[in-house]
Amino acid sequence: MVTEIEMPSLSSLYGRAALGAARSKLRPGAGARTLPGRSVLAQHPGVSVEQAESYRRLFGGESFDGAHRAALPSVLVHIIGFPMQMALMSDGEFPLPLMGLVHVANEVEHLRPVRVGQPVQILVAAENLRPHRRGTQVDIKVTVLEQGADPANADSENAAETSVLWRSVSTYLSKGTQLGTEISADSGSTDVTRSDAEPKSFVPPVKTASWRLGSEAGRAYAAVSGDYNPIHVSQLAAKALGMPAAIVHGMYCAGRMLEGREPEGAGHRWWIRFEAPVTLPGTVAFAAEPHGPKAVRFTGWNPRKARRHFSAELQLP
Amino acid sequence: MSAQNIRDAVIIGGNRIPFARAHTAYATAGNQDMLTSTLNGLVARFGLQGEQIGTVAAGAVMKHSKNFNLTRESVLGTPLDPKTPAFDVQMACATGMEAIGSMANKIKLGQIDSAIAGGVDSISDAPIVVTDELRGILMEANRAKSVPQRLKALAKIRPGHLSPQAPGVNEPRTGMSMGEHMAITAHAWGITRAEQDELALASHKNLAAAYDRGFFDDLVTPFKGVGRDTNMRADSTLEKLGKLSPAFGRDLGAEATMTAANSTALTDGASAVLLGSEEWADQHDLPKLANFIDYEEGAVDFVDGAEGLLMAPAYAAARMLKRNNLSFSDFEYLEIHEAFASTVLAQIKAWESEEFCKNKLGLDSALGTIDRSRLNVNGSSLAAGHPFAATGGRIVASLAKALHGKPGKLGFISVCAAGGQGITAIIEGR
Repeated sequence: MVTEIEMPSLSSLYGRAALGAARSKLRPGAGARTLPGRSVLAQHPGVSVEQAESYRRLFGGESFDGAHRAALPSVLVHIIGFPMQMALMSDGEFPLPLMGLVHVANEVEHLRPVRVGQPVQILVAAENLRPHRRGTQVDIKVTVLEQGADPANADSENAAETSVLWRSVSTYLSKGTQLGTEISADSGSTDVTRSDAEPKSFVPPVKTASWRLGSEAGRAYAAVSGDYNPIHVSQLAAKALGMPAAIVHGMYCAGRMLEGREPEGAGHRWWIRFEAPVTLPGTVAFAAEPHGPKAVRFTGWNPRKARRHFSAELQLP
Repeated sequence: MSAQNIRDAVIIGGNRIPFARAHTAYATAGNQDMLTSTLNGLVARFGLQGEQIGTVAAGAVMKHSKNFNLTRESVLGTPLDPKTPAFDVQMACATGMEAIGSMANKIKLGQIDSAIAGGVDSISDAPIVVTDELRGILMEANRAKSVPQRLKALAKIRPGHLSPQAPGVNEPRTGMSMGEHMAITAHAWGITRAEQDELALASHKNLAAAYDRGFFDDLVTPFKGVGRDTNMRADSTLEKLGKLSPAFGRDLGAEATMTAANSTALTDGASAVLLGSEEWADQHDLPKLANFIDYEEGAVDFVDGAEGLLMAPAYAAARMLKRNNLSFSDFEYLEIHEAFASTVLAQIKAWESEEFCKNKLGLDSALGTIDRSRLNVNGSSLAAGHPFAATGGRIVASLAKALHGKPGKLGFISVCAAGGQGITAIIEGR
C-alpha cells in the first residue's frame, strides 16, 4: 500500500521526535513491534542550483555549470529523500523511537542521473526489523523515480528499463531497544552491517588525505542538507544524548569521499559502513585505494587512536 | 622552425638576497621590497642602468592580491628602462625554474635578446584573507542596490566568519601538508632517518664552505643587514640532528623519520638570473657562465596516492635525459632541490630502482646512480632555506657559476613543487 504525502519538513519532524522521545520515556515498552506495512510517496520539485552549489562548495567539488556537471551526487539525492525517511520513522506506527536511532550503514544504487532541477518522486518503506546484539536494526528503503512514473515499478529487478533513477537502503540501529522474539533473526536482507565477526584490531591503510573538521562541520552540513539533528550541531545536545561531543553526519563522510568520483552518467553503486563516530572538532585520516579496475575502497579513521570511522566502496559501471 | 634558427640562451649571472628564516630579519619586508632589491643588485652587478631588457619574468607563490603586477611594479622601482615589460609567473616551488626556462626559450627563438627571471617569497608577509563566508556576504552587500538590502546582507555576518585565514600550505585536494605527503613517500621508499640527517648535515657544511671560500661573493647582495642565509648552521653535527623529534609523519610512530632539520625551514627571500643571447652578452661585455640547454615539466597523479606528491621530477628527468640522449654519469654537478632530505633521497632511489624505472618510467633498466660527491656541492635548500619561488634562481645562478670555466660540462637540476608537479633542467658550462 502506498500513501502519498506532501514533502515533509525536517524541522517539524525533529520537534515531533523530541515529543515522541518524551512519550516513550513516560510509557516504557510502548509502541508497536512490527513495521508499518505501507510505503510513503511524495513529489519533490527537484534540487535547486543554489542547493547543489552549496553542496559542492562544502566539499570543494566542481561547479554545477549546467554544461559539464548537471547530475546530482548520490548524497544530495539522499538528502532530498531524508525527510521522507524521517517522516516514516517518526510516524506513530513505527516501532522504534526516532531519537537515538544511529545510522550504521548506507547502500546506494545510482542507476541513472538525477539532474539539478529535475522533479522526482520519492518512495520510502521500512523493512527487515531485526534484533542486533546492541538493540534493534531496521532498513529504510528509498526509491527515487521519474516524475509521473508508476511507483509499483519501484521494486522491479529490471530497474534500467523502468523509471527508477536511484535507490538506497539506510540501516539504523536503535540501541537498547529489544523487540519480542516474534521478529525473525534473519529477514533475508543484504546487510552490509553484519561485521560482528570482523577482527577488532584495525591496521590503517596508507593515508591519502586528511580531513580537518572544525566544530562547525556539523552545522555546515546541516545548512546544506537541512538535517539539524541536535547531535550534529550542538555540543550540549550531543552530550545530553550520550555522545562525548557533537559528531559529524555520517553522510558528510559519504559525500566527501564520493565528491568528484561519481560518473556524470551514473550507473554506479556504493556502500558505506559507519563505525566510531567522528567527534567535532576532529581530524579524519582517509584512504582511497583501488580495488580492482572498477572499484575504489575507502577508509576513514582516527589517526591518533587508530579507530575506524567508516569503511566504504564505490563500484563504477 | 628549423633547428639552425635556435640559438644559445646564455646564463650571464645572478643575484639574490640572503634567505632569512620566516618572521625574523625580513619580517617587515614584503615581496615587492625583496624582489626590487634583488633586481637592483642584479642591475648594479651587470651595469644594466637604463637598459631595456627583453622581458622580466618572476613570481611569488604567496602573493597579495594587490601585487597583481608584482614583477612589473618591481621593475619600475629599479633603474632599468621603464619600457622593460614584465610579467608574473606562478608554478608553486617551481616558479623560478619555469620563469627561467621560459625566458631561455624566448631567447633561443630569437623573440628577445635578454631576460631576467626569478622569484620571491615571503612567509612573514603572507596574505591573510577573510573567510569564504564573510567574503560572500561582503560581496553580496557590495552588490546591494539599497541600504536595507545591504543591511540585510551584512546581518548574516556571524562571529565565526571573522577569524582571519592564513594561506594554507596544505594540498587543497588532500588536506595533507607537503611534509605529511613526503613522510608517506619516504616511508614507502624505506628512507632512513640517518640518511636524511647526513644529507641535511652535508647541505649545511657545503653551503658554509662555499660562503667561506667566497663562492657567493658575486651571487648574493646583503639585504637589511643580513649577509648570509640565516638558516645555515655551519656547526651542526649528526648528534645534534639526531636528537630532534619527528615533525612529519607522526602517525608512523617509531617509523617517523622527518624532523625540522631534515625538512626545509620556512624562509623569506628573492633571487634573479640574467639571461641573454651570446651577441647581447658580448655587446654588453658581460660574462657567459653557462648555456641553458633544456628543461622539462612533470606532474604526477598524487591525489589518491598513486604516486608521491613530490616525485614529478623523477618522471620529468627521464623524459629530459632521453630527449637529450644523456645519463646521470654525464653530469659534472647535480642540483636536487632539498624540499626535504627525503625528497632528494626518494628521487635518487627511484632512478636507481630497476622496478620503478621499468614500471613507472617505461625504461628498459634503471636510469642510473647519482655520484653523491657531485650532488648539491655548494649546499641546497636545507641549509640555505627555500623561499618558494626564489629557489630556482638560487640554483641556476649557483650551478652556472660552478660550471663556468668548464666548457661542455653539464649540470642537472631537479625542483619539485606543490600540486604534484616539478621541473628538471640541464645547463652547460662555458
